[in-house]
This record gives sequence, structure tokens and C-alpha cells, in this order.
Amino acid sequence: MSNGKQRSAKFRKPMKTALVLALASMTLLAACSSKSDKGADGGANGAGERVTLKVEVFDRGNSPAGATITDNYLTNYVQESFGNPNNIKVEYVPVPRSEEVEKLNVLMASGGNVPDIVFTYDPNTFHRYAKQGGLLDVGPLLDEHAPNLKAFLGEEVLQYGVYEGTQFAIPAKRSNVGKYASFIREDWLEKLGMPVPTTTDELYETLKAFKEKDPGETGGQVIPFGMTIASAQYEPLIWSFIKPTTEEEAFTLTQQLGSNDYPTLLPGFKDALQFMNKLYNEGLISKDFALDKDKKKMGEDIANGKIGFYSEDDVNPFYDNGSLDTLQTNIPGANLKPIDVFQNSEGKYAKPMYAPNGMYIMIPKSSDRAVEAIKYLEWMASEDHLFHMQNGVEGENYTLEGDIPVAIENPSEEALNRMFNSGDMAIISNGKQLGSMEKNLEARALQFPKPFYDQVQEAQRIANTDTFAPIVLDRPIEAQTKYGTTLLEKFNEMIVATTMAKPEQFESTYEKMLNDYMKSGGQAILDERTALYKELNG
Amino acid sequence: MSMGAYLRRYWQLYALIALPLAYFIIFKYGPMYGIQIAFKDFNFFQGIGGSEWIGFEAFREVFGMRDFYITLRNTLMLNFLDLLVSFPAPLILAIMLYEMKVVWFKKLSQTILYIPHFISWVIIGGIVLQVFGTQSGMINNLLASFGIEAIPFLTDKYNWLVTYLIVGVWQSAGWGTIIYLAALTGINKELFEAAGIDGAGRFRKIWHITLPGLKPTIVVLLIMNLGHMVSIGFERPYIIGNMAVREFSDVLSTFVYRIGLESGQYTLATVVGLFQAVVGLIFVLGSNYISKKLTDESIL
Amino acid sequence: MREQTANRVFDTFNFILLLVCTLLCLAPFLHLLAISLSSSRPIISGEVSLWPVELTFEAYTKVFSDSSMIRSLGFTVMMTGVFTVLCMLFTIAIGYPLSKRLLKGRKTLMFIVVITMFFSGGIIPEYVLVRNLQLLDSMWALILPGLINPFYLIILVTFFSNIPDSLEESAEIDGSSHFRTLISIILPLSLPVIATLSLFYAVGRWNGFTDTLMYITSPELYPLQLKLYQLIQNNMITDLMQMEGTQMKLVVPESLKAASVMFATVPILIVYPWLQRYFVSGVMLGAVKG
Repeated sequence: MSNGKQRSAKFRKPMKTALVLALASMTLLAACSSKSDKGADGGANGAGERVTLKVEVFDRGNSPAGATITDNYLTNYVQESFGNPNNIKVEYVPVPRSEEVEKLNVLMASGGNVPDIVFTYDPNTFHRYAKQGGLLDVGPLLDEHAPNLKAFLGEEVLQYGVYEGTQFAIPAKRSNVGKYASFIREDWLEKLGMPVPTTTDELYETLKAFKEKDPGETGGQVIPFGMTIASAQYEPLIWSFIKPTTEEEAFTLTQQLGSNDYPTLLPGFKDALQFMNKLYNEGLISKDFALDKDKKKMGEDIANGKIGFYSEDDVNPFYDNGSLDTLQTNIPGANLKPIDVFQNSEGKYAKPMYAPNGMYIMIPKSSDRAVEAIKYLEWMASEDHLFHMQNGVEGENYTLEGDIPVAIENPSEEALNRMFNSGDMAIISNGKQLGSMEKNLEARALQFPKPFYDQVQEAQRIANTDTFAPIVLDRPIEAQTKYGTTLLEKFNEMIVATTMAKPEQFESTYEKMLNDYMKSGGQAILDERTALYKELNG
Repeated sequence: MSMGAYLRRYWQLYALIALPLAYFIIFKYGPMYGIQIAFKDFNFFQGIGGSEWIGFEAFREVFGMRDFYITLRNTLMLNFLDLLVSFPAPLILAIMLYEMKVVWFKKLSQTILYIPHFISWVIIGGIVLQVFGTQSGMINNLLASFGIEAIPFLTDKYNWLVTYLIVGVWQSAGWGTIIYLAALTGINKELFEAAGIDGAGRFRKIWHITLPGLKPTIVVLLIMNLGHMVSIGFERPYIIGNMAVREFSDVLSTFVYRIGLESGQYTLATVVGLFQAVVGLIFVLGSNYISKKLTDESIL
Repeated sequence: MREQTANRVFDTFNFILLLVCTLLCLAPFLHLLAISLSSSRPIISGEVSLWPVELTFEAYTKVFSDSSMIRSLGFTVMMTGVFTVLCMLFTIAIGYPLSKRLLKGRKTLMFIVVITMFFSGGIIPEYVLVRNLQLLDSMWALILPGLINPFYLIILVTFFSNIPDSLEESAEIDGSSHFRTLISIILPLSLPVIATLSLFYAVGRWNGFTDTLMYITSPELYPLQLKLYQLIQNNMITDLMQMEGTQMKLVVPESLKAASVMFATVPILIVYPWLQRYFVSGVMLGAVKG
């Protein structure tokens, strides 16, 4: 045999030894140093010793060239304006946006690298951490260090962060609570000489006309009512069928699954499903609506001019290069009119609105930097810091008209990239805050292409009309935390199954699904909420 | 021979095993204490050690959930169907490729056939909707132009099963051929010539030479598949599945995702995982035993 | 004569069937390619099928000028390379002894391996282990935990077992050590399966990203698939994300997503054609005679 083979055999041995040594030494190192993480910069931030504050940040994978999610204009701004004067090094810990709950769970459970500031949109996660004793009571800290923050958020918002009497989270403040509006093809109405529908019945007639007369000349492909399995598409319709209830009924029968209230047990829900069933069987909504999980298909159909009417998050159609923009490019003369059409039995266009809070900001109990964390949030709520983080540089990102920032028409690439993560950095607020809802809405409308300004304002107005707030419970319902995600699936499944059922099978399908729903936790939630109501009201 | 003589002769083999074994112990058996979570009321902050012991309570809870049995049934059903359809497909495809005489086409198609394996399921989901959708899917549009009524490929649960299988084959068959093609290189080509002289046609050659040559590979893969009867990937049922066919598309992996990961109930998720592990192990040992008796091939 | 016609018919059918299958597999790829080269208007309107509409290279310009993508590509290639080599070394190292029936403790070892195919500790203990080994946020967190895939190991053992004992025995008679037999006889005979398993390991690492979600926080170490995942998942709207309202709406253009998919997929696609040369028979033939 040649030498080559001998050499390679010989080579394997020392390599193996090296590997063994490497592994062994790593294990040894680990055993020694795993404890020392926390000790590194322990103690209070006194006597000029620089400490590190770790803050979670969502990573959406959209960092522009030259910046990363942990090193960009805004992170540098924070370091200069807050970190340096306070002798704090601010370090950002990125968490992929779509895995935020899972990764946060793992971080919290493994106990080692938890950032000093974490947050989540999921109230169940917040409650779970609070219940299991992992969060710091921030009440006293807020009182001592954060007067501006408290003033900014207000009692109502702060209340959402209270768990069993203790302030365990600092909720962000939402700048606008309107959710939904509906939209109709104005040009189609004009072509058919029909008025804008203002009630559900009128809408029905209009939809039928859309289907029969096909004003959009789609060659039979018209979809009168754009529908998907996302809540924005069906909530305005469903809630309008809910009959008036007493306060007690509303409290006990409503089911809060995830972060929203659902009407499964409220009177009138069955009628809503019946109406959906009618729409489906008469070909007024897409046969594939149940498959459209991300609204992508509906978006295509809108842009193609196939859809005549739909409900949506109030300003969604108006983005640059969004649905309306593309629709108008494809079909000159097309236009969407924001309307309010789902009228309930009291004549109101009842729709849900957001709770006034946004994210739940929390400080883990194990954190040594609680004071610094609160100071950071306080800094953000002070002076013009939040304003700067949300709007950028005057003259480059916006101009001031009165006291409302108006986005500059064609900002430079640099200016644009500056703000790529502003929403995720300005954690104490959801949306731009200018002091009043009116101003907030104005600023929001100005973020959209100028030609759509009026429509955006109208959509916002509609989204804030006849709204009702989620029901506030002073403590979380166990059954809701436990069965929430399962029941949410079943709720959606119920809508799909009853809508797609043949008319003669509607009843049996409805009964079967409701039964399953109740058995899977719906009954448990009902019982718990009923008991809670009795307890609170004697 | 004595132990001493045995070791002197074969020490090199054990030297080779040393590091890989260390790997298994550190990285696979090391974390196994996590299985305890199934028996504890897991508290994130007290950790596994500090959480309270609840014995089989979580098991009772999971086994009492109606959804558990439905998802278990679906898992078995989908896996069984896959065994019938997706298991033979790569084999057949590999043989077809092996028999392909046009060399440039053979090489080109091998590469193209496994492209679907690389497309992420999120994207495949979009494509499936475009192709199989009822309202405006490609196939139904084609049918409509012939005046045929639309077929709900995705919204009728039985049709969905077929669609699910087809998409599965499309996604995995090409990739699955690779292992078979590797195995086929080990077949002595002279055997084919000899058989040809004896008057055997193409199909007989395949039956008597090619397939037997592939037997060890087929058996090993089959045993693996049977062992994983109660496990199922997350992505295919989740992405291809939808609300209309949830009765069939909800499987153990989506069930675990829902109750465990989305609501942080790690105990329940671990319970299901443990159940799958135990059953899977039994299946593998069982099929291994049967295989040994029937075909003389086995893993253990 | 009849045999020739029968053969021809068989070959023709075979060709046609394969052609159909090949086209079916190529179509979605062409579709993605088309999207990556089209402008946003036709994409949003659903006009693009297999051919670009309103051709533009904008998406690719963006991808190639994004230094983080390029860096990620480099990192991913290196990581995948190191991973594959190490995996194969470890797998072969234990695979060869396991294939020898006379090895004492073989059954036990196999059992130990098979158990790991089913039982695992779960994300949290695994995360804790990686953290305790100080591997968090490093390339090794993505390499070490996956060094041996039990499934692939079993395949390798099966292949090794099917190499005729006579070959090994004659080598031993010639005075070869086990190490040398492994390297000079077994490995050359097993090139196809080694090439196959290398491919499997490489592709598995290239495509996988769930562990990267957990273990990597520094953007410089984001593998390509993770960046891709973020781009695509950006628009998956769940009820949870609805809570954000319309706060964050930097919609990633479909063409950019498609171009990124191309960027992340094409490199690994070309590995197999390159490896095809190892799928040769003939090595077996000569050996049996001796």
C-alpha cells in the first residue's frame, strides 16, 4: 500500500484527539462560567461604572443596507441621547417577529440570557409569566422614576398591565383604536345607477346586482363580496347581527379568545352564519375564501377588479402600491368608496375597536437593571424623544404643518432607511402620538399618498363610529388562557363549515360545531365568566 | 477468544466509536432530562427542577381530549396513505431514471425532479391555491372552458386527501430517488446482460434483478417509515390544510403546536411527544422483528 | 425483433412519463423565476405565470447589493461545508464498526442510536445545553447538535453491511489494520452512498432554520434560510399580528421575496449535479474477482 493511505490514517488520530480535547475543555469552561454571566456588571449603576441594559427588539428581516437590527440610526440615537448621559450601554436583543412568543418562552425558561426589557402582544403570555412569578412588580419603580411615562400612558392603559392587583407590565399606548371599515366599488354603483347601500339588506341587493349585471365586465369572474378567513373580513358583518344584550349577558356570554372578544354564544350569531351561508350558496362570496389565510388571494382579486365590496382594516387599501393604487393602475376610473353598511337592529353600525393598549412591556424578575429599564422608558416618554423616533429628522423625513408632521413626498434613500424600524423601537406607543386622537388620525392620514387623503379620513371616521370596546376583566379567565387557541380554531372552522354547508344542512352543521366548541372549552369559559360576574356583582 | 485477545484485535473499532458515542451522550442523551416536563406542572421560572410533580395527570388530560384522538386518527390515516403512494413513488421514479437511455436527459431530469424539495412550504401553499383553487384555480379554469363544473380539490375533505397526497409525491419523490440511485450503482451490470441472453424482457429484468438489488434499501426505508407512523411533519398538513378540511388536516404536530407552543403549555406538548416516541419505538422494533423473519434484513 | 420493438416502446413511454414529471417539477421554479423578474403591478394582479411580465432586474439588483445577503451566503456556504465534513467523519467513524456483525455490544449501540430517533429532551433542555456549552450565537451551535443523524447512520450501516465480507477478510489477511481497511477499501466502494449522505447532510443544514431561530441572535450569523424565512413570514397575517394594527407596514415586494428564494436555493441545487460523478458503479465489479 502506498504512503498516502498511511498518512491519512495517521492524520485521523491527532485530529480525533484534538476534537476530544476541544469538547472536554468546552464542557469544563461551561461548568465554570455559566454562573458568572449575571455577576459581570452586577450592582447598581453608581460611581461611574458603566452598565449594560439589554432590550428586546423585533426583527422583521428588513434591515436596509449598511444597518442591522442592532446597529442603526435609531439605536445610535438612543445610545447618544439616553445611554451615554446615564452611563448605560444599551444592547438590543433581536427576536424574529413571527416567532416572538416561542423565542421569548425559551429565553424566559432557560433563565440565562433574558433581556432586561421584554414584550409581547399576546395577553395570555403576559398572564402566564405573571402568574408563574417571573415578572417584576414595576409599580413602585414607575412611581419613583417615571412621572412622564405615567402621564403619557394614563390610568386606563396602565390598568391593562395589572395582574391580580399588581402592576406587572407596562402596556404601550395605542394612538388610534378604530379597526374596520368597508369599501365598495364606487364606479360600479355609478354604472348601475345604484345608490350607496346603507343597510345590510340594501347591500344584499347591491351584491346581487353586481353578480347579475357584472358592471366590471369580468366575464363572469365577478366576486361581489370579498371574503377571507381573517377577522377583518367577517367581523363587521357578524357583529352587526348580534342582538342587544344586557350588561350581564354581554359579560358572561362573550368569549375572549387570544386578544379579542368573540360572539360565539351571543344571541344573533347563528343569524350571522345563516346570512353567510346564503351569500356563499348564491355565489356572492368566493368559493375559496376559507383557503385565503393571508389575504393574498383577495388582494389579487381586488387589484384585478373582480371584487365589488369588502370589509378590511381601515387604512389597508391605501398604501403606496397597495390594493387601491394597483386597482387604479389596472382599471382606470375604478375607485373604492369607504362605507358603513352593516347596521344592527338598533340602527347602529356596531363594530369592535381595539383596546387602548398595545404591547405588554415587561421586566423579568431576574433582571438586575430594572431601574435602568424604567429610566429608558421614561426617557422615551419625555421631551421630543418619542416624536423624533417616530418621525425622524425635520426637513429630511417630514415638515411641520401646524404641529402635525407631514411626511416628505420623496424622501432620500437615507432618510427613508433611517426609519425602517421606528415602530418596533418606539415600544411605548402603537402608532404616532401627537396628543389627541384627532391629531393622531390626521398624522396617520398624511402617511398615505395624497390623492387618497379624503378616503383615508373617511375610512378612519367609519372605523371609529359606533364602536364598542373589548370587555375588561379584572383578572384573566383560566379557561380562556387554556383553551383560547383551540377555540379560536374551532370558531373559524365553525364559520367556514356553516357558510359552506348546503342550505338544508346548515342546522345540523351548526349544532354539531357548536357542540364541539362547547365541549372543547366553550362551556368552561362560560361557567367561569358567569361565576366571576356573580362575584363582582353580588 | 478471551476478552483481552478480542480487544487487542478490535480496539481500533472502539477507538472509532469513541467520539461519535460521546456526541450521542452529550447532545442527545444530555437533554433527555427534559422528558420529565411531561410529569411536571412546568413553571418557566422555577425550571424543570423546581416545577411541581404531577405524575400522570397531564397524560390523563391529553388522553381525555377529543381533539387528541381526532388528530391521532388523522396522523395515522395520512401516514398510511403516504405509505401507499409516496413510498413507492421515488422507487418507481428511480427505476425509470435507471432505465433511461438518453444520458443527457437522465442527468438533467434528475436535478429538476428534486427541485420541489427545495421550495419552502409557504411558497408551495401559494402555488397549490393557484393550481387547485375552486374559484379561479388553474385546473378548474381549464375544466370550466370545457364546460365541466369546478371540482373542490381543497375544500372537500375527501378530495383534499387526494390533493394532499399528490402534492406530497410531487414534493418528495424526486428527492427520494437519490438514495435508490445510489443503491442501484451497486448492481452488477453483467447480470442484466446474462438475463437478456436468457430471453428476459425489460419488466422481468426489473423484477428479478433491479428490485432484489434494492431490497436492503427498500426494507430499511420501510422500517423507518413504519416507525414514524405516529409522527408527522408539521408543514405539509399545516400549509396544505385549511379550515374547510380541518377534520382531516389537523394532525398531532399541528395539535401540539396549538396547545403547546402557541399557549406555552409545554407539559402537554411534551406528553404528546413522549406518547409518539414510545409508540414509534414499539413500531420500529416490531417492524424490525417482522422484517428479520420475513426478509432477513433488519436494523437491529 | 419483437424484443427490440418492446424495448423501444418501453423506452418511449419511459421518456414521456419522465418528461411529464420533469415539467411538473420545473413549472413552479419557472414561476418563481418569472416573479423575481417581474414588476410589482402584474404580480399583485396575479398576471405572472411562467414568464416574466414587465421585465425588471430590480429585485436581483437589490439582493446582490445587499451586503448582508452576500455575507450570509458566504457564512452559510462555509457553515454547510464544515458541517457536512464533520458529520460524515463522525457518521463513518461509528458506522463502520456498527456494520461488523462480530462487534461486541453492537446491538446495544444500535439500540442507543435508534432511541435517539424517537426520544428527545425538547427545545428548552437543548437550548440550556447549547447555552451551557457556551455555543450560543456561534456557528458551532448550528453544527455540533446535529453531527450524527441516526437515520443516515442506519442507512450507512446497511450499505456497509452489504459489502461482501470476503473483501475485508482478504485485506485483514494481508495485514491491514481496521483503519486502513476502512479508508482504502470500504470507502472507495461506498462512494455513492457517501456522496448521497453528504448531500443529505448538506441540504439539511442549508435548508434548516428552526434551530437558528433559537440559537442565533447576531445578524452577521444569520444563515440564508433564516433571512429568507423572515422576508416571507413578514406577511403571514395571524390574529396575533393583527394586534399591531397597521403600525408596521413595510411590505416586502413579492419580486424581492422570489429573488431571495432564488438566491438562497440555486447554490444548493447545483451541488447534486456536481456530485453525480460519484454515482458510478464499476468499483464493485472489479473487487469481487479478487
